Amino acid sequence: MTIATRNGDTLVGKRMPRLHDDRMLRGHGRYVDDIDETGVLHAAIIRSPAAHGTITRFDASAARESGEAVLVLGPDEIGRLTDPLPTTWRIPGQHLAAVELAIRTVRYVGQPLGVVVARNRAVAEDLAELVEIDIDPLPAVVGIEAALAPDAPLLYPEHGGNVAGGIHFGPPVEELDALFAGAAHVVEREFAVQRINPSPMEPRGVLAEWIPSTEQLTVWASTQVPHLVRQEVAVGLRLRVDQVRVVTPDVGGAFGGKTTLYADEAMTCLAAKVLGRRVKWIEDRTENLTASYQGRGQQARCRLGLDADGRFTALHVHIHGDVGAFLSTAGSGPFQVAALTIEGPYRFGAAGATVTAVFTNAVPTGAYRGYGMQESAWIRERIIDEAARELGRDANELRLLNTIQPEQMPYTTGTMLTYDSGDYPAVLRRAVEMGETRRRPSTDRIRRGIAVTGNVEITGFAPSALLEMFQIHWSGYETGTIRVNEDGTVTVFSGVTPMGQGIETALAQIVADELGVPLEMISVQLGDTATAPYSNFSSQASRSLPLAGAALITAGATMRERMLGLAARALGVGVEEVKLDGTVFRAGTTGAEVTWRDVAHRGWMGWGRGETDKILLEETVSFDPPGITYAYSAHGAAVAVDLDTGKVTVEDYWTVNDSGVLVNPLIADGQIIGAIAQGLGTALLEEAAFDPETGQPLATSYLDYVLPLSEDVPDIVIEHHVTPSPIITGGFKGVGESGIQPPAATVGNAIANAVPEIAAGLTATPLSPSRIWTLLEQAGLEG
Amino acid sequence: MTVPTTPAPARMRTVTATVNGVTRSAETEPRALLSDFLRHDLGLTGTHVGCEQGVCGACTVLVDDVPVRSCLLLAVQADGRRIETVEALAQDGELSGFQRAMRDEHGLQCGFCTPGILMSVTAAEREGLTAEQTTTEVLGGHVCRCTGYQGIRAAIEHHWQEAGR
Amino acid sequence: MKPPAFDYQEPRTLDEIVELLARTDQDATVLAGGQSLVPLLNLRLARPDVVVDINRVPGLDGVEVADDAVVLGAMARLATLERDPVLADALPIVPEAIRLVAHPQIRNRTTLGGSLCHADPAAELPAVAVALDARLHLRARDGGRTEEAAGFFQSVFTTSRRPEELLTAVEFPRHQGFRFCFEEVSRRHGDFPFVGLCFGVRLEDGVVTAARLAGAGIAERPLRLPAAEAALVGHRLSGDLAEVLDAASAEVDPPSDIHGTASFRRGLLRAVIRRAAARLDQGGSR
Repeated sequence: MTIATRNGDTLVGKRMPRLHDDRMLRGHGRYVDDIDETGVLHAAIIRSPAAHGTITRFDASAARESGEAVLVLGPDEIGRLTDPLPTTWRIPGQHLAAVELAIRTVRYVGQPLGVVVARNRAVAEDLAELVEIDIDPLPAVVGIEAALAPDAPLLYPEHGGNVAGGIHFGPPVEELDALFAGAAHVVEREFAVQRINPSPMEPRGVLAEWIPSTEQLTVWASTQVPHLVRQEVAVGLRLRVDQVRVVTPDVGGAFGGKTTLYADEAMTCLAAKVLGRRVKWIEDRTENLTASYQGRGQQARCRLGLDADGRFTALHVHIHGDVGAFLSTAGSGPFQVAALTIEGPYRFGAAGATVTAVFTNAVPTGAYRGYGMQESAWIRERIIDEAARELGRDANELRLLNTIQPEQMPYTTGTMLTYDSGDYPAVLRRAVEMGETRRRPSTDRIRRGIAVTGNVEITGFAPSALLEMFQIHWSGYETGTIRVNEDGTVTVFSGVTPMGQGIETALAQIVADELGVPLEMISVQLGDTATAPYSNFSSQASRSLPLAGAALITAGATMRERMLGLAARALGVGVEEVKLDGTVFRAGTTGAEVTWRDVAHRGWMGWGRGETDKILLEETVSFDPPGITYAYSAHGAAVAVDLDTGKVTVEDYWTVNDSGVLVNPLIADGQIIGAIAQGLGTALLEEAAFDPETGQPLATSYLDYVLPLSEDVPDIVIEHHVTPSPIITGGFKGVGESGIQPPAATVGNAIANAVPEIAAGLTATPLSPSRIWTLLEQAGLEG
Repeated sequence: MTVPTTPAPARMRTVTATVNGVTRSAETEPRALLSDFLRHDLGLTGTHVGCEQGVCGACTVLVDDVPVRSCLLLAVQADGRRIETVEALAQDGELSGFQRAMRDEHGLQCGFCTPGILMSVTAAEREGLTAEQTTTEVLGGHVCRCTGYQGIRAAIEHHWQEAGR
Repeated sequence: MKPPAFDYQEPRTLDEIVELLARTDQDATVLAGGQSLVPLLNLRLARPDVVVDINRVPGLDGVEVADDAVVLGAMARLATLERDPVLADALPIVPEAIRLVAHPQIRNRTTLGGSLCHADPAAELPAVAVALDARLHLRARDGGRTEEAAGFFQSVFTTSRRPEELLTAVEFPRHQGFRFCFEEVSRRHGDFPFVGLCFGVRLEDGVVTAARLAGAGIAERPLRLPAAEAALVGHRLSGDLAEVLDAASAEVDPPSDIHGTASFRRGLLRAVIRRAAARLDQGGSR
């Protein structure tokens, strides 16, 4: 990349506060529920009270006759007025290619069945209570085991089973079986990861406005993917995409939970269209905890084979993924990614992974930060730890013995991922070293332990050719536009969106460097399909910074050349003589000057250009990554386990992370720390549980869905390694999901180190006091 | 489709309160929460609603100088009270010391929980609590999903240090 | 969700309150601190016809200390009681337990009476009331009565308070010679504990002569542990308490729920008894 310098400083690499924090700190954030409410009507969603059953009656007459209802839509009306929503990523065998909006058979508690619109939310909720729904109950299928039982009730009898689809990566299982048969030692474990609620502090929400005269729908949505929402709204409501504009205002966190159009959001848009009015629906916390798609939710049987020296000869994992009531937009995606990334930073003689996606009567699962890679880290790092214990070896020594070496890069795994760059042993060794000073002694009833884990993650996802090969309907490339306005200010557009991760500031830093102008001249405008370049993938999969950043570097370099050329003609000198100093172009020979602003003005007047030069002072570049770029890390944790109570305290946590070139280390650290905090939530606290008989969700408020508080997250120590990505312009790799993947495995292994007597039982998260205490009791260690 | 006219709700009440130093008055139903009253009747949308269960703390405001959950107060209960919200923290256009510390220490990401934390910590500062009490007890009453709290704790510690407490 | 519609009354005197509560044509709910009621309204789990807001009635939040008892007004805010120097001196177990309740922002509103009337079986203050044999003063239009804490708490979120009654004050006997402490295990600070224990003993020459134990989170209501109390008598707090722990384990039948199994709770009860004994052995509150 070109590194334009002003006084020797670059903005890329500078630790600096974010540009929009001032506004947010004044209470001037503008989230979807903050938009002017003049003329707004409010929606409440009618939801299924049952986990499984057939709707025999949906009677909204009492609500309609109340005189208070502006509109009530039930399955009949919705069925007449909409089409199902398309999905982006399917799994072989998947029989449902779309998400139904008109529901006749309910398949989870909280499933949206209809919508009520009234003058305010409270009245809309009053009216929703008047809607009478009769449901012929069917037995609820709760959990993967129940779904796969031989006599299990079926969610889709016409489909013939509760298996939604399946896929295998790597060599055939028979080939792996032969290697296990010949291995000196085989470790086998069954692992589980609970369902997690992404739980952004701002729940979902949409404000939709249909203008009948122009037939245009504007949707303000708290989403990560405005273009995907536009695409889905258009299909769902039978509109052309150019009749729909989606705008994302400030987004109060997302974490994967806002990566599609949900049925309740589609119903709100439909209500606006039917009424020709502005209609708003804001998800409440109970809806968020029960009806927003959840993450994780899987069981996996893993086998690891080792030779007599401790080298990994074979690895196989069979993942059963709980997709819930139907396959959401990319419903099986996280399980497929868990399978693909099972090998991490290690070499195996051979490795393969099998995925079986399973329907259950629970809210569908989908994206949650980490997207399968938290699960693979948990399985892999725990089974390596178990192998070390069974063999009486040091776990870190075993890891290092099997770690991919830097000279082996690029390295292709058994599941056919090609790692691009990095020094995997270096971060592991450093994390082990950092742990040496962090060991604390145990006491009579407090056991202490320490562990280090390794991880590799997919970032900057993904080359469009790869997505085409798997028929995944996401735009893998990313586009950036730089416009120098007639007053010299610079507006940057990109298809990625802000959701609190600080992408606006990072992109501004990159563009300011490329153009060589002060940061204050840059405005990054994101999230509006009317102005943003197309990207239906947008901000997820640790792709915003590497891919949008790469596109903007190239666009910026071209724009800088164009501005220099225009300045040279204005000054009447050769372009090689012109230097940009701050906001002034200066001719080296004559000392003549012209301001950046004047050059911009001349440009828009069409003055001083060559005959074939374009006028539009705008550069747009699409960057399609030639491959996936892989970030990697090692994590360390020191824990204390209270033998009396089963409580685990994380006393120390550290990581050595390589996300390539860092644009703003303050933001990068914030991403890593925040993601580790979420990972600790998965490790120890959070669980979206269901009643095993009725399928009723049990964590319906923040009293029962337990998020980490400050006391649960120690100050985290971060060291960076920087291996510039060889395949991404700018050398960037992603960082948003780096922190969340290893904490459960790291904490689990640290508990195993503290209390080896219960190590073999540490196979399921959350490692809650109750779960740990039960293991302690089985080991005879409890008080 | 014609939009039916709906009758005015019964038993509306007038609530008059001093909000950020200004006397404000609005009609409200008894069931309206103070959080909704501030946001939707007075247009002070800086106060955020994260759970309406009293747990997350995003809606925390000061009522007669005391930090409370505005989602757990009825608007009618605020009649005659003095209320401060995040919009009042910057004085003469300048961010308060703690607001600046939050920016410098990257104590916010999505910014949704931030106003509640600003109000609780501001009250703690006025009350003379120590940095230790503020990072443990006071911050303990807030949920942040983005930051892992580290930047917020650093902001409290640095601000207290700077203020010589 | 938003609360269902209700009528709102704001009485200015105790007589007005009980008059409103006496009306049988409507289902009235008392709004004190609102930290339990308003979440229930927001979830539409509480659906009163009328909310009787007693926050503007003076005289219900006093702290009175006599030789043998402390009388606390039901409307006393936890944040106030927590900092009251007179109470800290006279009955330190109350502020000690209060500091375990939720977070400061909640305690700024929560009232003692509300906390007791809500009757969450895992809550700290009901266990303190039971351990100390607190007497709850209830007023109705047609007169008042006093209820022992042990009889007041009946089941999950259920007390013996009749709909027309208002809890006005709580009288805590001072139990001269006793020392108390509160021990609990919760997932995070401020959460309702898995198991909590109000633990009190009277010691002579280091030997327990009388004990008062009440647990939270071990049953559908706060529970005294008479067998454990009896087993404690004659023991030193630093001695072998196995007999006491076994007695406690045997006399409870805790619930299983998403936060923990029955045997986990039984195990935690043993842990908090050990910890409380160790703390009082080292000093602890009066």
